[in-house]
Parts: sequence; structure tokens; C-alpha cells
Amino acid sequence: MGSHAIQVQSLSVVRGHQTLLNQVSCGFESGNIHIILGQNGAGKSTLLNCLSHEIMPSQGHVLWHGKPLDSFSYRDLAQQRAVLSQSNELAFSFTVQALVSLGVEVKQRPKEQAKRVIESVLAVCDMTHLQHRDYLTLSGGEKKRAQLARVLAQIWPTEVCESVQEGGGEKFLGKWLFLDEWTASLDIKHQQRLARYFKQWASQGLGIIMVLHDISLAAQLADYCCLLKDGKVFAAGKVTTVLQAPILKQALEMNVRVEMDESTKRPMVYPMLF
Amino acid sequence: MRTCATEFSKSILLLLFLLLLAMSFSLMIGGFSFYPSELMTGLSAQQLFILWEIRLPRILLAAVIGAGLAISGVALQSLFRNPLAEPGLIGVSSSAAFGAVFVIVLGGALWQEVAVWQISVAAFLMASLSTLLLYRIATRYGHTDVALMLLAGVAFNAVFGALTQLLIVFSDDTQLRSALFWMMGSLANLSWFSVGLVSAFVLMATMGLWRLVKPMNAFLLGESVSLQMGYDTKWFKWQVMGLSALIVGVSVSMVGVIGFVGLVVPHIIRLWVGADHRLVLPFSALGGAILLVLADLLARQIIYPAELPIGLLMALLGGPFFLMMLISKRNGYSKALSSVQGKGF
Repeated sequence: MGSHAIQVQSLSVVRGHQTLLNQVSCGFESGNIHIILGQNGAGKSTLLNCLSHEIMPSQGHVLWHGKPLDSFSYRDLAQQRAVLSQSNELAFSFTVQALVSLGVEVKQRPKEQAKRVIESVLAVCDMTHLQHRDYLTLSGGEKKRAQLARVLAQIWPTEVCESVQEGGGEKFLGKWLFLDEWTASLDIKHQQRLARYFKQWASQGLGIIMVLHDISLAAQLADYCCLLKDGKVFAAGKVTTVLQAPILKQALEMNVRVEMDESTKRPMVYPMLF
Repeated sequence: MRTCATEFSKSILLLLFLLLLAMSFSLMIGGFSFYPSELMTGLSAQQLFILWEIRLPRILLAAVIGAGLAISGVALQSLFRNPLAEPGLIGVSSSAAFGAVFVIVLGGALWQEVAVWQISVAAFLMASLSTLLLYRIATRYGHTDVALMLLAGVAFNAVFGALTQLLIVFSDDTQLRSALFWMMGSLANLSWFSVGLVSAFVLMATMGLWRLVKPMNAFLLGESVSLQMGYDTKWFKWQVMGLSALIVGVSVSMVGVIGFVGLVVPHIIRLWVGADHRLVLPFSALGGAILLVLADLLARQIIYPAELPIGLLMALLGGPFFLMMLISKRNGYSKALSSVQGKGF
């Protein structure tokens, strides 16, 4: 194993009699989109939770830029990576804007700058027109976008604020975004819109690790894939090597057709009913 | 929701003004009523005594305890991530009362004379213990089950209420009187010393909780989210539990159980300023102080010359309010309740 920005070394998580993760080793590079695939209960979320230091592994460790995760304080980590969880609970009425400002406050910023960060993450998540709405009255997809805006605000770089649309540069260098099934409850329009943003930010240095069930989207989006089965790594590597019909059929127990798109040099994955 | 700085200070000043107004009203009105004009012409020694030794400490105590109970309500509501968590409702107050009565009735056998601080320590210990136990029961893997929280509160209230009554069976006449007074809550007959003691502790706990407003906001999003946002949630929980138990313990040991302040006040304040704790905490403190000063005035006047125990009055006023809150927001609440763990009633 080479030295990746985030290195997972023979990680095991045991809870009660259940082995959720079994000797998992893999690496993640900044500036790339990594997608963790697997069936329900394969250990995807557990792996993501280990990466974000929410749960302690029973064995093995996670190296963050060469140093063990325990050596960072929660505050340090929060400045470098943001996490969108699968489900979010909030029983109190916050406006969308106030919710997002909770994310901005993770980092000390001047007031004017914080305001601009909020504006740009709201715009990115297409929530500007809903910013004064009560979070509790939003639909499922809108809630998800509001939470994503909060999460983005946590790691949003200062310089990007002026030029959201601009490509290139290393504005997100050293930042990480962990997403657990972010497509759930989002409509296709917003899935595609956000997926394009993820691509753009990755090219600007952002490392993205996401758990995803939508394998067609994964094929278009991922640079690297990590395929988990029963708590173990079934296959990992470049998207072209992992997303092959025999591998997918075996790991995900699904009926699938994979074609190579010559123009983009990417696999096109079609889940098939029959 | 995020009021700008000037608006914030304006609203705070308004509440402060209302508090002073309520306090001066309460100071003037009573068995002996005063008129502002009398202050100019000078007061007799007896009038001064009533004002200075009886009424003023009582009013200050009402304000401090009202503020403290409202703040502990806010803190517990963020800990349990639910607007229904209130020290009286979830049994923290009644367990503290049990601690206090325990020392009053049985402390005499251990020590020659029971000191005020021993009662306070017992109440504080019981309040902390029950908060901890309740949190353990109602929260698993960072999720609070609201139904469990409230039902455990019902059980706590039943058990500690029964234990307190059991102690009363064994008590003599004077103990009986003071034990009853503990269960109903009363602001009568308290010295400047108690005022100072309660104020010191409530102030200390409030300052401690004020440092936690940002993690409190984050904690509303869930324990793991708050961790992801860089807050040490374990330490946060210990602090919130300890500090709110300190407020509840000290107030219960001084004035007995006064319920619903921690429920009613933060609820109204949230309707006004939203859920941001940087606003909810100071506003609730002032709101709680105003509410209890006015309630105390009412309790003294309503069946004059007798006096209604303030805990009784608050239960009479707060209970229906709680029901109204549930009914008027039935849909909203069932959503809010079930959204916490996908489990309604």
C-alpha cells in the first residue's frame, strides 16, 4: 500500500457478536471522488463513520495524512472535513439560513465573510429562495439540500466565494467531504446539479468519499471505487477496473449490463430487471 | 430568526425593563401596600422592615429561581433534543425534592442539626443522579426516544413522589410541615442568606451554560452531527447534565418543586426568537424571572390573607398551558416527536 492522504489499515469493527468490518484496508486521495459501494449491511456507513472518527474501530487504524486519527482533536477535524449523514434529526424550528450558519460557525470567520459563505452554499444547493423557510416545513429533498448546505459551509473556502463558477485552482485543497447516500430523496435534477459541482470541486482539490447505491451515477462520477461485501473489501481501485459486470454481479448480486463509453472512457452501468 | 445586534440589545432591554417593572409592582403590593409617593416622604421602621427583610429577598429569589428554572429547561431541552424536556415533567425536580425531604426527615438521626447546605447537596445529588439515569434510559446510540423519556419521567415522578410521601409518614409535625412545603413549592420565609446562596449557584451554572450555546445549537442536530462539527459531545453532555442539575437541585432545596417554568418560558421565547440558543438562553432567563415574580405576586394576593404555594399555582397555570401547547400543535408535535427516532406515541 502506498501512502494515501487517508489510509485505512486493517480496520475491524466488532459490535456485540457482529463483525461489521473485517480487516478492511484501503486508501483515499484528495482531489478525487471515491465511492463506496455494497449491499445493505455491507459496512459502508460503518467505514465512513470510522473515517469521520465517530466510532472507534476494534482493530486497526485510520491514518489522516500519515497521522492516526486519534491525534487530532474534533475541532481540528471539523475544519478539514465535513460529513453529511444519512438521516438528520431536528425537532426545533430553525430557518434554513440559521441552520446553515451553524455550519459556518465551525470556523472563526469575519461576519462579512460568513455571510458570503452562507450565500454561496445556499446558491449551490439551490436553497436561496427557501432560506427564510422553517426547516421543519420543508420536504424531504429540501431538507437534504439544506443539510448539505450546512455541511458545505463548514469547509467552504474563503476565496471561492467570489467565483463559484470558475474552474481550476486548488481552492479546496486539504478539504474533505464525506457523504452518506446523499442522493436519497433528491430529485434527478438536483442529483445531477450537485454531482456536477462535486466533479468541479474535486478538480479544485476537494477529496470526496461517498456511499452510494445508484450504481449508474457512481459510474459517471467516481474516480475510484471501493466495493464492500460482508464487511470485507471485495474489490477496490479505479472505476474502470472495479465496475465490471462479473464483479458487480458477484458483489452486489444484481443483474447488470456494463458498456464502455468510448467518448468519456468511462463504464456505463445499466442495472437490468430482466 | 437571527436578530441583528441592535435588535437583540433592544429586546433584552425591553425584557429587563419589564422585569424591573414586575419587581417594583410586587414590592409595592401585598398585605401592606405602598405608594411610590411614600418612598419620597419616608418610610416608618416597620415599613422598611417589611420591604427590606421580607419582600425584597422574596422577590429577588423569585426572579433568580425563575431565571434558573427556565435556563435549566433550555439546557435539558437541548440535551434531549426535545422541547418537552422539563425538570418537573421528567422527574428531576421530584427526585431533588426527595433528596431534600430525606435529609430533613432522616438527617436529624445522622447529624444533630440539619444545615441548609446539607439539604442542598442532597437535592443536587438526587437531581444529577436522576438526570443521568433518565439520559441512560431514554437515549441509545445518540438518539433520544421521546416517548421513553416522558414515560420514564412519569415513573420517576411516581417513585420519588411515593418515596417522599413515605418519608412524610415517618416524620413529626414540624418535619411534616416543611416536607409538604417542599412538595408544593413556596417562596415564603427565606432569608437574604438563601437569596445569596441560590443566586451564586444559579449565576455560576448560567455562566457555565452560556459557554455552551454553540454546542447546544449543534446538539439539536444530533449527537453525531455535533461531533462532526467539532464539538466534544461527551464532555458537553456531562456539563449540561451537571449544570442543570445544579440549578434544579439548589432551587428545589430552597423553594421546593416549582414546575412548568422550564417548559412554558422557553416555548414562548422560541416562538418569538427561534431556536438559536444565543438568543433563547438569555431571553428565557429574563422571561423566567418575570414569570415567577408575577406568579409570586399572584400567589400572595389571590387568596389573601392566606397564601397559595407557588408550586401549586404554577401547576394550575402550567398544566393547562402544557395541554394547550400539545393540542394546538398536535400535528407539528407528533411530527417533531416522531422525527426524533421515527417513533411517535
